[in-house]
Amino acid sequence: MTYPDPDDPAHPARPSVRPFLQSGPLAAGGYRPAPQDEQPPAPEQSAALRPFVITSGRTNGADPDIGMETQVTVTPGAGPVRLSPEMRAIVGLCFEPVSVAEISARLRLHLGVTRILVGDLRAAGQLDVHVLDNETPDPETIMRVIRGLRAIT
Amino acid sequence: MDYEQSPDRVVGTAAVGSGGPPKKAPVPVKIIVAGGFGVGKTTTVGAISEISPLTTEAEMTSAAVGIDNPGLGSTKTTTTIAMDFGVLTIDQTLKLYIFGTPGQTRFAFMWDDLIKGALGALVVVDTNRIDDCYPAVDYFERAGLPFVVGVNTFNGQMSYSLDEVRWALAIREDVPVLAFDARFRGSVRDALLVVLDQALDKAVRQKSSYS
Ligand SMILES: Nc1nc2c(ncn2[C@@H]2O[C@H](COP(=O)(O)OP(=O)(O)OP(=O)(O)O)[C@@H](O)[C@H]2O)c(=O)[nH]1
Ligand SMILES: [Mg+2]
Repeated sequence: MTYPDPDDPAHPARPSVRPFLQSGPLAAGGYRPAPQDEQPPAPEQSAALRPFVITSGRTNGADPDIGMETQVTVTPGAGPVRLSPEMRAIVGLCFEPVSVAEISARLRLHLGVTRILVGDLRAAGQLDVHVLDNETPDPETIMRVIRGLRAIT
Repeated sequence: MDYEQSPDRVVGTAAVGSGGPPKKAPVPVKIIVAGGFGVGKTTTVGAISEISPLTTEAEMTSAAVGIDNPGLGSTKTTTTIAMDFGVLTIDQTLKLYIFGTPGQTRFAFMWDDLIKGALGALVVVDTNRIDDCYPAVDYFERAGLPFVVGVNTFNGQMSYSLDEVRWALAIREDVPVLAFDARFRGSVRDALLVVLDQALDKAVRQKSSYS
């Protein structure tokens, strides 16, 4: 498979176009045409190292560990790599801890696309994705939320 | 291709950028605010959030009625829905996210993602259209997520009493039904505190069943 090169002058990347449109057949332009069968990729494929591409039509298969509230930060000392405009924009938001939902909202990127790109950036060693050890919060954490909420006016 | 090797084409590095090392990430927790169209979900989120609500678009897959074959060829429709959310910083290490989500259709995987790790849910009800919240109530019951029914009073006007709402929804005794006003922070806070009470009960029960 070949992927669009964001820096290829013949096919310039279009950061203003939402990637889910960009990856669709209408916006395919000179790119690889969208596959006709809508088979979602196998799970292990989505976690593979693909740092240089937009989601290429993938709408399914985001890492289930990456939730909407999951916190994301830039990996300290990450090496320089070539990134798509969308990915560059994501990395640019993550110098402070930020949630996946906030990334999606601020960049007006579809939530599913954001989750996939964040997963790809993690695989490429660019982002730290802070996945929680225990899925459901413990009583102590809930107590802290209760105390914090009681304190607001 | 040659040009891919030339260093001046290397762009978008994460290593450059403002400020020193990233701060330690806070632990996020979340509460879901669900209900039918126009019941006051966004108003609820906005009343409690420290930022004005942000919106994100997500896929919602609804399985066609009567078809339970999950394999290839099963009839599923995918709709893009707008979900709004707000944030409340509890302290440097803990953040509460409040997600407002429509729930008037049959939903599938989007909601499974949404409620994963959630503390609980507030189901917002308008007494003029009580049945709009059935799918959300059904879903949370089946998912085992603690939830509370919050009747949005819309200026103190309620067509039915809380007991009548409870009866109409046929929910378990231990599910709280309360009245609140989505426009007021204090009122939303109190409703969320009841959700958190339910969440705490469940967490304590789970913990003691392990030890
Ligand atoms: N008077 C009064 N109006 C309310 C109250 N809650 C919400 N509204 C109004 O009802 C309308 C719908 O409220 P929203 O918060 O947008 O409802 P929603 O559930 O987010 O609606 P959708 O996202 O469209 O499903 C808005 O015009 C609100 O201003 C309330 O408690 N009292
Ligand atoms: Mg709304």
